[in-house]
Amino acid sequence: MLQQRVMIRSARFRSEREEDWRRLEALVARAETQGLQNMAFTEARDLAAAYRRVTTSLAIAREISLDRALLDYLEALTARAYLCVHAPQERLGGLIHRFFVRSAPQAMRRSWKFVALGFLCMGLGALAGFLLFIESPAWYYVFMPPSLGDGRGPDASTAELRSYIYDAMPDRSGLGAFATFLFSHNTRIAIFVFGLGVFACAPAILLTFYNGIVVGAFVGLHVDRGLGWDIAGWLSVHGVTELSAICIACGGGLQLGAAVLFPGDHSRREALRLAGRDAVKLALVAALMLVVAALLEGFARQLVQDRTMRLALGWGIGASWLAWFIFGGRGRV
Amino acid sequence: MGDRRFLVGMVHFRWKGASVRLFRRNPSQEMPSPDLVLPPEGVPIRLKVAGVGVRMAAQLTDILITFIAAICLLIVLGFLRLTSPDTLFAIGALLFFLLRVPYYILAELLWNGQTLGKRLMKIKVVAHDGGSLTTHAVVLRNLMKEAEIFLPGTLVLMLDSASPVSSFMALAWVAMALAIPLLSRWRQRLGDLLAGTHVIHLPQPILMPDLARADPVLHRADAPGFIFLAHQLDHYGAFELQTLEGLLRAPSTAMTGANYVNHRATVGAIIEKIRRKIHYADPVPVADQDAFLRAFYSAQRAHLEQRQLFGERRADKHHARHVDAAD
Repeated sequence: MLQQRVMIRSARFRSEREEDWRRLEALVARAETQGLQNMAFTEARDLAAAYRRVTTSLAIAREISLDRALLDYLEALTARAYLCVHAPQERLGGLIHRFFVRSAPQAMRRSWKFVALGFLCMGLGALAGFLLFIESPAWYYVFMPPSLGDGRGPDASTAELRSYIYDAMPDRSGLGAFATFLFSHNTRIAIFVFGLGVFACAPAILLTFYNGIVVGAFVGLHVDRGLGWDIAGWLSVHGVTELSAICIACGGGLQLGAAVLFPGDHSRREALRLAGRDAVKLALVAALMLVVAALLEGFARQLVQDRTMRLALGWGIGASWLAWFIFGGRGRV
Repeated sequence: MGDRRFLVGMVHFRWKGASVRLFRRNPSQEMPSPDLVLPPEGVPIRLKVAGVGVRMAAQLTDILITFIAAICLLIVLGFLRLTSPDTLFAIGALLFFLLRVPYYILAELLWNGQTLGKRLMKIKVVAHDGGSLTTHAVVLRNLMKEAEIFLPGTLVLMLDSASPVSSFMALAWVAMALAIPLLSRWRQRLGDLLAGTHVIHLPQPILMPDLARADPVLHRADAPGFIFLAHQLDHYGAFELQTLEGLLRAPSTAMTGANYVNHRATVGAIIEKIRRKIHYADPVPVADQDAFLRAFYSAQRAHLEQRQLFGERRADKHHARHVDAAD
């Protein structure tokens, strides 16, 4: 009786609810250690209900109580409960399934203009490289980084060039080659092209165009020696997938750059965030394609030596990528 | 924040009586604290933004964990004779890459925004808009980590004097990656900006006993009752009340020697100040000092809380002056 009379309003407020808060504390601890999925139905339901009650308690306490310890406690408890209740509730398997079946091809279709721009940059670059090489082979040394050609240049004899295309070098296949390739020039280009897109598109376009020039000059060298179809076959095995990956990465970068340049009605930050939704999926697709290209270069190119087979393999895989992008994720209506 | 306000003050000069401001607006007036997050329930929660230092510590822990895992796998591959000395480095780099990309994404998905390093440092990723953390956000912020931290990191490690241009670019990139979080109020790196997330300190809920409730030790049956009148409680505000609360919560029983003597002296001085301020005539014997402070705290809190219920919040002891100024 005396206790009741002594207690002030905010102390009474606290003593009436303290038990509920303790229970929520225990539930939050369980949810944090075991995960919401592993809790019983009643517990999960109680957690949600108690979270809403403690939110109300916090709002009231801020109005009626001057007890700093109580306010801090409620603040922390509400935050912990909030982080538990609003946790992502998605299963990993469903996530991967959704990416492959729906979201990736849909994102590709939504941003087809940017991807097409990426291909255009690469294509124009290749054309320029090819024409320049035909005009004067000296251009080759201007464009080609010395590490890239493996000594293949205008100085090499035709026989040497041919041996590169059709020689199964055992030390250049398998896991080592796969790993070496993945960290080679083109992967770095793809990452740069995507990342640099944020800086107003220009670096991404330039880099893709330059990469096209390198490819064009390289093809030009072989066409000049009458090895046109052979190099086409050699490149097709992995190149269709790999160069497409660079173009798609460029498309993703361009999308980010376009959001910075033309944010429309949004703020630039907001526009960047919105563009990021599709751009990141493009980057993931490009990464996947690069891994496949590395597998093809590490293993398949040495196993398949026939020119026609190489062409068929490379373009067949290219066609299946295209089919995935075009037909994937179209819901049955 | 403080130095920024100082800057604004510097450029906020007067010219022919007209106030000229160089910045568009004064950030100290309008921007809410970056620590506030607004959940869908509509009650803002204070979640302290994690600094760059603690996040770097978490990042280093994670790098160490994945690096050691990659080395272990590399040794296993070496025993299986799948590596040769000239491809060792490339395969090692590949393993490190293949381990760390899924590690970050899966850890943050399964542990709701925490990797092992973040758990160790008790920090967590939250959605910037107060909603729940989406898969997209987790994937995006961790993929950007590749471009933001690991790519420039490896570039810096592989610097050589032969290519000054690429060295300069790598350094500029690293500087940019470090500068962006420092310039952001929420310490967001580029990946955070794109994904709409930021990193917070996980708060610890600890419920302390209520000081306003009667303490059986202090309120002995024979203890003198301290009575405070309404005009005696009109001097202080919430700030002084909560400072007193901090003093009362100090663990005086655990103190030893000189600390305890100092604490008693402080308590005595404070009581004298309070008595003079509120014109409390009766002297307080040393044995009853704690009981007096507790009684004053309870009475003051009850008074201030009642004023607050009637719509008058008293922030500190200057509240009367503010009222006068408003008049």
